[in-house]
Amino acid sequence: MKRSLHLTRRDLIRAAAATAGVGLLGSMDAVMNQQARAAAQGDRKFLFFFAGGGWDATPLDPKFDTDGVSPLDGTDMDPGTVLGRTGNLSWSSGPDRLNMDVYFSRWGARTSILRGVNVHSAGHESATQWMMTGTSASSRADWPTILASHGMLEYPMPHLVFSGPAFPGPLGAAVVRGGGGTLLRLIDGSLNTAVDNPAPLFDPPSDAMMDAQVYNRAGRIAARLDGQALNRMDDYMASLEKSMELEGRRFEAGLGQASRTALAQAEMALEVMRLGLTRCAMIRIPGGWDTHGGNQNVGNQLDAFFGILDTIQEKLHTTPGLATSRLAGEVVIVCTSELGRTPRFNGSQGRDHWPYTSMLVAGSGIRGNQVIGGTDNGLISLESDFSTGQLSSTGDILGTENIGVTLLKHGNVDPERWLPGVQTVPALVQ
Amino acid sequence: MFRTTLAVVGLLSTLASCNSDAPNLNAPVVDGIELQSSRKQLIRLAIDLTGAHPSKQDLDFIEQYPQAYDDYVDKYLQHPRFSERMSEIWNRSIRTRTGETFFDRTEADLGMVPEEVVADSIGDEPLALLRHVIENDLPFSEMVTADYTMADPIVAAMWNLEYPEGKTGWQPSFYTDGRPHAGVMTSTTMWSRYPSAGVNSNRHRANTISRIFLCDDYLSRPVSFSRTQIDTLTSGDPEEVIQTTQACQSCHSTLDPFASHFFGFWWEIDGDLSEQTLYRPEDEQFWREQMGDHVSPAFYGIPTQGIDEMAQHLAEDPRFASCAVRTVFDGLTQRNASDLDRVELTPHIEAFVESNQNVREAVRSIVISPEYRAAHIEDERGDRIPVLKSVTPAQLETIILEKTGYRWSFDGRPALQRNIQGLAVLAGGTDGRFVNAPNYDPSIGLVFVQERLAQAAAWHVVRHDLADDREEDAILLRYVTRLDTPENNREAFVVQLEQLYVDVIGVPLDRPESDDEESIPEAPEVAELIALWKRLYSVDANPERAWAGVTSVVLRDPMLLFY
Repeated sequence: MKRSLHLTRRDLIRAAAATAGVGLLGSMDAVMNQQARAAAQGDRKFLFFFAGGGWDATPLDPKFDTDGVSPLDGTDMDPGTVLGRTGNLSWSSGPDRLNMDVYFSRWGARTSILRGVNVHSAGHESATQWMMTGTSASSRADWPTILASHGMLEYPMPHLVFSGPAFPGPLGAAVVRGGGGTLLRLIDGSLNTAVDNPAPLFDPPSDAMMDAQVYNRAGRIAARLDGQALNRMDDYMASLEKSMELEGRRFEAGLGQASRTALAQAEMALEVMRLGLTRCAMIRIPGGWDTHGGNQNVGNQLDAFFGILDTIQEKLHTTPGLATSRLAGEVVIVCTSELGRTPRFNGSQGRDHWPYTSMLVAGSGIRGNQVIGGTDNGLISLESDFSTGQLSSTGDILGTENIGVTLLKHGNVDPERWLPGVQTVPALVQ
Repeated sequence: MFRTTLAVVGLLSTLASCNSDAPNLNAPVVDGIELQSSRKQLIRLAIDLTGAHPSKQDLDFIEQYPQAYDDYVDKYLQHPRFSERMSEIWNRSIRTRTGETFFDRTEADLGMVPEEVVADSIGDEPLALLRHVIENDLPFSEMVTADYTMADPIVAAMWNLEYPEGKTGWQPSFYTDGRPHAGVMTSTTMWSRYPSAGVNSNRHRANTISRIFLCDDYLSRPVSFSRTQIDTLTSGDPEEVIQTTQACQSCHSTLDPFASHFFGFWWEIDGDLSEQTLYRPEDEQFWREQMGDHVSPAFYGIPTQGIDEMAQHLAEDPRFASCAVRTVFDGLTQRNASDLDRVELTPHIEAFVESNQNVREAVRSIVISPEYRAAHIEDERGDRIPVLKSVTPAQLETIILEKTGYRWSFDGRPALQRNIQGLAVLAGGTDGRFVNAPNYDPSIGLVFVQERLAQAAAWHVVRHDLADDREEDAILLRYVTRLDTPENNREAFVVQLEQLYVDVIGVPLDRPESDDEESIPEAPEVAELIALWKRLYSVDANPERAWAGVTSVVLRDPMLLFY
């Protein structure tokens, strides 16, 4: 029967993944590199952070003169900021964003900055689609959904969306929205105590018995089906299995705890990744990034976000992984936004929409301590050589689609199946 | 216990007479398509057109008289929920049910009305017009040509409309700011949902109309630009580059004149969204300044004098009718029609056009087709024609409500009709923003939503049906009492459980084959549920809890999700 094959396949893959982390020795980076390769034998996980509203690209693409203080002609820098630098990385440092300095000094060796990323639009909605799917078509699945749908392992919550955008496209079954705690209250049943006509909860053993009965019934129905009807019932049974696993492991995963803040959501994302419950997660970066009316809060927002990133990196490097000795060997962090903002301040000391933005990518298998792509003094994207990441007049403009297909390939998904003919960015990965 | 015994004999014979879960060896075959049993055809039809299952009487009747299918089509097309079903389908392209109010409701003296309620009304303005069109058998072209909009008192207050005195609910209403009326194309809800970034000169709006009513999304067209063209665009005047570059003109030659119609909705205060709720007749010619004199309003090469004239051309475009039919076809059949489906779509489009764009006639044509009624298709069509569809969140909620009387709601708002707390999206629905394609593949979110909805509804049923002081008819538990146990009245349990399945999924359980003509074998589910009842009862000897658990299992039946 297909169902037992289903389970056998999953168990075999898990067993294979569990042995992948044995015998890893050497320095931290060497260990991480080995782990990254080991993760490739299992599944890399992807943690996306998204600044909705379109973030200012200049903090990750600063335009200071050689003195590190004076802004270059063509771009206004936030007042009070100066050039921050470590290794090959640079950013706009300042008293309102000290956590950026902390982050890059600690984790710069594992972090790539991407500059001049063409989002092909100056409107929030279409730019979000471009950033997350590499196309303008609303019917496409986004990168995390594709990755989550094509893992080697089967995950109860393949792509867990805590907050922020999600384009499920035709792969909606892979996307689980956990925003606002609804998912957690569904899992433990407490949602039914909050409805207008509340109902008592069943204790977990009773709940499990009832689940099992539904599963038996589904199996009986499936046995009479064939073709696409059987496939649909098989998908249903797979989802039932996952729901039963989640109900059983919710305490282990800490799913009963509230996760309203971005940090709590990120920590929970790592935990469910560690437990093999999730491959991808999406978290909105807190703050108002659509700064038409003034850019003055951007520094504080960045400070808060890079504080979160620092904590998450720390956790990644101290938490045992699913297939490697540390989660850092398995998880890729992608930080982005749908837009950039104009190089010059408008009349309100704010910035308007701009079709080039900056990104940060770090973690498993990512080549750190490098900048890929770039912009001119007016924040217009310049060509780069995708194999080296260096600016090159014979290269190409870095687009959302190039980064997306690179992530797919890094996650062991054939990008040609999704965006045929689009160049990857080999420089991004080790 | 006594009433149970009386019912047993007749019921068992009924249950034994039909075994509708089993393969239908005598199923009619039409054009190479094996049709569903008449009972399942009716269930599919009722779910699609009314959002809920047929009544028990209707199911019994169709089983006896399969030829009555067409009569049921007539009946369900007139069902009060039919137009809302169409709204649900069209919202996937119109996408105004986003839960947003767009700007401050207190400015419209609606501060005491919950924001969610205001958002529900606002998001419904275009869809209320659709319902009005359908319920009054008006041509679908009214969606873009109506010389009124539809408003309830909330929408009327928010958009400052002329709303008929002494009326309630959704009524034809009028903008009074000098705008011409052209159905949804002059709706403030539409242009608040689809604002235009200043530099984009209403192109987003023009493309929205093209996407919804012509099924032609410019953003989905394959385009390719050279490096030089991109450089020119970013360093020169974009409008000039667009007008002089051939690659750009492949789309912009038709898109830009289309967009020129919407400058009456131009915003005069940069960044102030509420500006876009206003119409200024004096801005209608602003396209000259924004895009250039040569981009005068036109509809695919036909010059027009304004948005209302453009609406006439739009409604007469053959793509308008075919797109309308395709939208409803995709919604009812849970497919994305492609060129391969042209042969199947053609008669539905013809029926729509011949009926003066009557939506009901398009739907009728679709639901009487053998493809729609299919149970099994052997040939290549079997790969693309779904024979087992999934209920939408709204359908699931309505089905449970009708069967149990239980409404799953928060603060009076049904949980799955809108996307309350994200539940509809978890169950495969859309949110009008990020999730615009329904998910018909069963997901873990759907499993959890169905489980919790079923449990809450089951408790409602049990509290009602097993109440000692109940006076009215039982909802579902008609054959057992609080005092019955499998030990003292197994017969009642068997009857109750078998009937529970019939009541909930509409078809009897499949029974094992038996050579013994004297005895009727039990379906295995019955024994399993009796065992489950015992285990649940053993926890605290609470029959309500045991029955709530068992009833919830039946309300979670997969056949309630798939039809």
